[in-house]
Amino acid sequence: MIFVLGLLSGLAAGVVSYLLFVASSKNNSVVIAEQATSVDDEQPNENLESLLLIRDAVNSLSVGVVVVGTDGTVIFRNKLAESVTGVVHSDVLVEEVVEQHLSAALNGETKRQVLDLFGPPRKVFSVLATPLLIGGAVAMIEDITERYLVDAVRTDFVANISHELKTPVGALAVLAEALSQEDDFDIIHRLSEKMVDEAIRVGRTIDDLLELSRIEFGGEAVKDEVDAEAIISESISRVSPLASTHSIRVALIEMPQSLKVVGDRRQLVSAIGNLIENAVKYSEVGSAVEVSAEDEGEWVEFRVKDFGLGIPARDLDRVFERFYRVDRARSRDTGGTGLGLAIVRHVANNHGGEVSVTSIEGDGSTFLLKIPKYVSGKQSIMRESA
Amino acid sequence: MTEARKIFHRDLGDVQQELVRISAGVVESIPKCTAVLLEQDLAGAEVMIMADDEIDARTIDLEDRCIQILALQAPVAGELRQVISALKICAEIERSADLVVNICKAARRIYGHDFDPKLRGLVLKMAEQARHLFSEATSAYMTMDAPRAAAIDDMDSFLDDLQRQFIQAIFESHAAGRIDLQVAIQLAVVARFYERIGDHAVNIGEKVRFQVTGLPPEHSGAARHRQRAIGDPTPLGGVQRPQEVPPTSE
Repeated sequence: MIFVLGLLSGLAAGVVSYLLFVASSKNNSVVIAEQATSVDDEQPNENLESLLLIRDAVNSLSVGVVVVGTDGTVIFRNKLAESVTGVVHSDVLVEEVVEQHLSAALNGETKRQVLDLFGPPRKVFSVLATPLLIGGAVAMIEDITERYLVDAVRTDFVANISHELKTPVGALAVLAEALSQEDDFDIIHRLSEKMVDEAIRVGRTIDDLLELSRIEFGGEAVKDEVDAEAIISESISRVSPLASTHSIRVALIEMPQSLKVVGDRRQLVSAIGNLIENAVKYSEVGSAVEVSAEDEGEWVEFRVKDFGLGIPARDLDRVFERFYRVDRARSRDTGGTGLGLAIVRHVANNHGGEVSVTSIEGDGSTFLLKIPKYVSGKQSIMRESA
Repeated sequence: MTEARKIFHRDLGDVQQELVRISAGVVESIPKCTAVLLEQDLAGAEVMIMADDEIDARTIDLEDRCIQILALQAPVAGELRQVISALKICAEIERSADLVVNICKAARRIYGHDFDPKLRGLVLKMAEQARHLFSEATSAYMTMDAPRAAAIDDMDSFLDDLQRQFIQAIFESHAAGRIDLQVAIQLAVVARFYERIGDHAVNIGEKVRFQVTGLPPEHSGAARHRQRAIGDPTPLGGVQRPQEVPPTSE
């Protein structure tokens, strides 16, 4: 933004009106040459080159730039600013704010606004309009969606990790204090049981954190030839006790014979296991979870589908963050640590694959994990990408 | 072209641009009011309810400008249709914005009551379909795209179907004791609001077609009335009326 302001101030000092004309003439080289010549008869070519250079520089910016003259007429838009004048409703709203701010800037006021648009897709724009020294005004439109979301992730992560670790530790302290002052055997027994539960909970969180850091920072993943059906079977057997408790049937959908992937068997079982466990936890008692693997060219696509609560649309982009909870109260009941899906994402990254989710509240969710397929005699995708 | 004609054309362009901007604001407000409803955001509801005053003011200004154009420029043919369409579309947009406010008010009434994921999912689907219809209507008006405007009517039946599914789900949820009667009624009303927003989008589409083609929209009710009136030219047009009972002498 500062660079753009500096650049445009420089333009305002000498050649802005010619640049604007050149830019708005849309590659009309004859007109450009005429105008450039009239700037300075002694050095026409140098002026022309400078103007074209500056126009290209402004066009290559990742910020939309709109310049208006003293009467409010738009005399220049760079390429990015052109792209937000489409027929989508969000473009119309951005355009309206730009126009309002430019008219304020023409009255000598500098105005900034952050425009948070629901979309879809959700977009966050920063619009800044400022007066130019020689008259007229400039508006800058910046898409800050990514930055906005990263800030939200960072803030939430700090809040969530302290909550997840402090809550059970705090509960242990309170329970231990109560226990030390208690003589009644029944109450001591009950308090002790609660302490064990809390200790298990914090232990599970620490285990998951260690698992996550092992996957995240543990160096290059093992590149074995692993049978897809074996991964699924092992994952299902890991979750079977939990599924039986909830009377949920975990079914392996028919899949191609001898389908193999390249990767770390332990990590892959952990990832698929986490997806199945998640599906079981958020399904209604007596429902089903379907697990499948399909051959998709260079990839094997593992799918875990449930018919449970589903995930609200606003949370879909964030469920793979560490400690992110869709429904804090419900997550606590299920005994989850909030790290399962973060582990899945890291396993996917380690294998050069990806994980995604589609969900409709009330209908259920489908998680898709893509892992490179093993092809005999051919160098694996993961090795190529590595 | 005379200066007066230039001003006239500029005014017509300004009317269309302002209408598109207000309509885009309504498109954006549909997912916002849905988030208010699902996340029980009382502060957000207040903001949206207040924001409707601005839409009211802008639509009144726009209507005044249309009337001024009619009075001062006496447009004919395509330009007359343009002004008439703008006047009618203005009313459709203003009413849709009111429906968005109604959803926010319903959110306030059911504050503190949870409803199950199936109902939440259907609310999201209805909201998305209503937003899509209104967005299509806005784009069709912006680009004067008659075929695109015609498609909105067909798309609306999906929203009607979602509303029926939602009402059924409300009955089931209430019967299972998951929501009380007050919440059930408010949710049914909310479904009606989304469905009406879809209807307004269809109406905007019809006005776009009228503006582009000059052909009046086919109103099925009006067509039925005309058919009946062929046999009976009285105001009720062949509608079965109750038999007149002669006054009894006392």
